[in-house]
Amino acid sequence: MTAYDPCTHCEEMMQPYMDRVITDLERAEAEAHLDECTYCRKRYKFEEKLRQFVRQAVQHEPMPVELKTKLASLRTPLQ
Amino acid sequence: MVGWPEMSETTREPDARQLATEARDRVRFEEDALALSDQVYRVARHLVGSREEAEDLMQETYARAFRSWRSFTPGTNLRAWLLRILTNLNIDRGRKQQRTPDTQPLEEGDYFLYNKLEASGDGVSDEERVVERLSQNDVVAALSEVPHDFRDVVVLVDVGDFTYADAAQILDIPIGTVMSRLHRGRRILKQAMAESAVGSEES
Repeated sequence: MTAYDPCTHCEEMMQPYMDRVITDLERAEAEAHLDECTYCRKRYKFEEKLRQFVRQAVQHEPMPVELKTKLASLRTPLQ
Repeated sequence: MVGWPEMSETTREPDARQLATEARDRVRFEEDALALSDQVYRVARHLVGSREEAEDLMQETYARAFRSWRSFTPGTNLRAWLLRILTNLNIDRGRKQQRTPDTQPLEEGDYFLYNKLEASGDGVSDEERVVERLSQNDVVAALSEVPHDFRDVVVLVDVGDFTYADAAQILDIPIGTVMSRLHRGRRILKQAMAESAVGSEES
């Protein structure tokens, strides 16, 4: 049996924490650990920053105007 | 009190009235769907490898959506409904099977990218600044390297802002699978970003 490691547990909680799909209790536990553990805090901060960056990077390319026109032309013609 | 419309009127001309209602519902559906096209495109663009493919897929999706608008339940999530059509069409198009790349050994875990970025820099190890070493192109290129099954989930959740439940419904897979693919997909993405970021500095 492996001993309980708070950092391993914190890593397991990282994805649900960031995706906001954990219970209030789990969130409080994770935050209590983050308060006292520099290593995990660093990891969470990096991960959060990275997600923001990825989100911004992929939203850069707007839909071509011609495509918008083409899509509108697929509508059912009015009788 | 709200009065009911004259019943005799409806019984006499049911078809004309029905047709008018249907036409109005259809027009509203089409307008709502088109209003979401930017958001749908953003997801489509990163589900497939190229802009051309994304444009084709968008047209097929909208053509199908406009044909089968009656199967949409008003009041439910139209963006998810459109993306369900789109992801199904994308799978039907026979996208190429990709091999899942080996992820980094567990001991390095998710911190692989951070370590790489930190090591490649000028000693700046601030976890916020270190991300700035990546370029937009690094991210887009890395995303296209993530195998489809994993990419679908990462794109829906991280680009499309869908919940796990919506992603599960769109892709017709259990929520547990969404979570595990998301975890794996994000790791593959980070690994690919690490490789392209470090690679571009070395060249």
